Amino acid sequence: MSDVETNERASVQAVVAGGIGGEAAHYDVIDAIRRGESVEPTVHPEMGEVDSVIQTDDFQLWYGAAQAIHGISMDVPRGAVTALIGPSGCGKSTLLRSINRMNDLVDGVRVEGGITLNGAAVYEPTVDVIELRKRLGMVFQKPNPFPMSIFENVVYPLRIDGERRKSVLAEACERSLKSAAIWDEVKDRLKESALGLSGGQQQRLCIARAVVADPEVLLLDEPCSALDPVATIRIEELITEISERYTVLIVTHNMQQAARVSDYTAFMYLGRLVEYGPTGAMFQNPKLIETAHYVSGRFG
Amino acid sequence: MSDSVIQSEHATTHATARRTLPSAVGEPMVWLTGSALVLCLGMIAVLLALVLVNGLRTFWPGDIDQLTLNGGEQVMGIRVTEDTEGRYLYRVGNRDIGQESFRWIDGDAIVAIEQPDDAVMLERESWGVWFGVPESISVVGQDGELSRVTDGSGETLEAFGEMHSEARGRRARGEAMRKRELGRINRGIEAARLAVAEAELGVEQRAHASDRLGWVSWSLVLASVVFAGIVWWLKRDAGVGIGAAGVRVGKITRFGCAVVVIFGGIGLWVGGPWKVAGMTGESRDAVIAASVLEQERLQVEYERVLGEVRAGEDIDSRERFVVVEPTLGRFAPIAQTRGDEPMMLSQVVRLVAANRLSFFGKVKVFGSRWWEFVSTGPREANTEGGVYPVIVGTVLLTLLLTVFVTPLGVIAALYLREYAVQGFGTSVIRVAVNNLAGVPSIVYGVFGLGFFCYTVGRYVDVGPAEGSALSSGVWWGLFGLAVVAAICSFGCSLWGKPDPGHPPRVVHRVLSKLSWVGWGVTVVLMVMVVARTPYFMGFFGARAAEGSPTFGARGLLWASLTLALLTLPVVIVATEEAIAAVPNTMREGSFGCGASKWQTIRRIVLPGALPGILTGAILAMARGAGEVAPLMLVGAVKLNMDLPVSTTAPFLHADRSFMHLGFHIYDLGFQSPDSQAARPMVWTTTLLFLLIVFALNLAAIMIRAKLRGRTTGAAI
Repeated sequence: MSDVETNERASVQAVVAGGIGGEAAHYDVIDAIRRGESVEPTVHPEMGEVDSVIQTDDFQLWYGAAQAIHGISMDVPRGAVTALIGPSGCGKSTLLRSINRMNDLVDGVRVEGGITLNGAAVYEPTVDVIELRKRLGMVFQKPNPFPMSIFENVVYPLRIDGERRKSVLAEACERSLKSAAIWDEVKDRLKESALGLSGGQQQRLCIARAVVADPEVLLLDEPCSALDPVATIRIEELITEISERYTVLIVTHNMQQAARVSDYTAFMYLGRLVEYGPTGAMFQNPKLIETAHYVSGRFG
Repeated sequence: MSDSVIQSEHATTHATARRTLPSAVGEPMVWLTGSALVLCLGMIAVLLALVLVNGLRTFWPGDIDQLTLNGGEQVMGIRVTEDTEGRYLYRVGNRDIGQESFRWIDGDAIVAIEQPDDAVMLERESWGVWFGVPESISVVGQDGELSRVTDGSGETLEAFGEMHSEARGRRARGEAMRKRELGRINRGIEAARLAVAEAELGVEQRAHASDRLGWVSWSLVLASVVFAGIVWWLKRDAGVGIGAAGVRVGKITRFGCAVVVIFGGIGLWVGGPWKVAGMTGESRDAVIAASVLEQERLQVEYERVLGEVRAGEDIDSRERFVVVEPTLGRFAPIAQTRGDEPMMLSQVVRLVAANRLSFFGKVKVFGSRWWEFVSTGPREANTEGGVYPVIVGTVLLTLLLTVFVTPLGVIAALYLREYAVQGFGTSVIRVAVNNLAGVPSIVYGVFGLGFFCYTVGRYVDVGPAEGSALSSGVWWGLFGLAVVAAICSFGCSLWGKPDPGHPPRVVHRVLSKLSWVGWGVTVVLMVMVVARTPYFMGFFGARAAEGSPTFGARGLLWASLTLALLTLPVVIVATEEAIAAVPNTMREGSFGCGASKWQTIRRIVLPGALPGILTGAILAMARGAGEVAPLMLVGAVKLNMDLPVSTTAPFLHADRSFMHLGFHIYDLGFQSPDSQAARPMVWTTTLLFLLIVFALNLAAIMIRAKLRGRTTGAAI
């Protein structure tokens, strides 16, 4: 709650400072959102043509009494990297975690509207949450390798499915470590503890763990925010590489990162979708002045 | 604006006036805290040093003094201590000729002190030590006359070693035979006798097991529910769109079917119509006839073995050892009532000719006494001999209590921390658990005696108490009620859970509270069903009917369960802390991989918390090992040479009472008939107890270190 307030204050100042040539810019859409009005998102026409893997339909979410997401409808295209950007507290992580229902772990969460994964509703009593999460790989903000060996870390999703065959596990481990571009660094120390790796290596290990069971979508929740620039660049390269095989939905604070790795970008503000389109268009030729100013760092 | 300027000026003028308070100087606190630590450590060190010195001193052989008092009286003994008035306490032994075994002697009354070379101290099988001078080893002839084999102290002492070890060997063999062979035969006779008693009980049981109509209605209910379950199973709809209600109905149907089938099966197995408990008159007669035959056969064998043992003992009793004390000139008698016969050679446990021993000779005696202490059972009302059964009892008790308390505490803590909704309820439970740690341990002892020994133990022995068994119709009704209660509670908890993506409404809260009440009712009903069943007559009814209960009395099992209860808070608190210390990012990562709650707990939380859990187990072990008060009530005894472990089935005799080092110390110090003789043993036993607790802890800590290395690996 207080986060949102701080943000509002911050963006008020941004409005003052953000005007071109010293003039105060007029952010009609964002002002409307701040007033709590419902605003129709600006969706580029290209988005209507894509084959979507995840669809949200007027999705709303409350933490207790506080509404965090105000009716977002968007389609995540298959086989591409989609970035969610926006200032802190705009609900992008919440949206990401709603897709694999990690928000179920939080007390007092209420949702309305729907999310579908490959056409199947996610918020349905018949849905097996465990099974749903198995179809989505997730990588968190802070690298969180388990306190076990590198090998056991990578094959963990297979282990919990009861896989015991050594050959299958070894093969899957090698494959996913290779696709996470960390195989050469760790192939001689698979039996050692994963906690001995550096932060960047740990995050790549987590990506390897997320892809080992061939998920339908990879959800990345600010995967580079705890890493140094060099490690960040390696992860970004990895995301580009991995997007050839997987649909990726990434939340990021870093505008350049979104520009570098993503094919589509969605700009969110205070729990609402503001503008959504192909990354090139969003960064070079956005339809809203708010987006233009946000991606160029003039506010937010 | 102007206000703040004034304020800052104000501050600058006062900045120079700031001074350093004494409390800001570090040194006094360093000294204070440091000396407090030194004080604590010092007190512990003094305690340990006291135990160590006194414990080690006990078995060191002292010199034997021969005193001449001014009345001309001769006294032989070992000086133990002296008081401030110049009096000496002498251990003079020779209790069986009517003399106090410890004697205060006035220093002024002593005319001369010698240390004769041939003075010896005998440690005997009974009647304590004997001081004197060895005169001869003799053999009793056919006519009952003694003929000397050796003569004079020098010759006797020389020949003693070999003859004594031979005599002791013979005696040990005889005793082993008595214990092993005769023990086995006795057990056989006992079993045969019990078979008869059991057969009698069985006939009675059959006579009472007539009313068996309850099962009919129950079977009908069972059959219809199973049928409904099958119908549901065949037409169940697993697809999307059946909605929350459909999912819940499916779950409760499955649960209901499972409960009814499982419990119906158990019920029919216990009290099924085809099962006729007990036996008929003819089969009883057959059992009795077989038992009589067996008893006769065993009796013959008993006589034979006894004959062999007696023959050995007869040879034994011929070799006599004459040791004369100086005061009255009497020799050590074979028994107090037979003062005219010298003692048997095999009655000597150890001969210490302290005055002619070199330093290494004394070290040898010291070592052999320690070995005797840890490897044999006690003699002489625990004041002599060893503590082997005591060690075994203590170690077994400690291990058993750890085995019981650790899983129980870990499961409780897991629920409290991982599953339970954190709130008022869990806070109350935490406070209650912590308070449980403050309950005086004797209260646990009383509870253990009343609940474990006399209630649970009695139930195991003889089944439901006299008159509390229900008639079978009522019992079946209760049973069905319990099953219905279980299904209803499950339903309440199902419908009490909100739909995904929705917070609980009032109806959900009410239903989930109701489900708790329902589970409570179910548990109470199940306990009644078990406790008042008309179909269970106990496992050891025959023996209990003779007044010697098996589990319905104090024993190792109940003692370790009582101590497990006592140490439960320690484990729960330690485990809870360890679980809470596992970072939440680990759990999230695991859930993100598609792991279930239990998989996350088993693969991530428990391994991460393992070192902490083991710390809790170690603390519980240390606490439990040191408890004495509850043990006095639930199982520790002054003397029981039957170890709770043996080589005969079932190997671990958890029903037996046992000896315990803590209780042994109390017994030696305050319950001993010869407190002077027992006092040194108190120190030695204390030392041993400390060593054992230390060893147990060390072992546990080493196991923990090993496991910790395995689970966390080399980090960085």
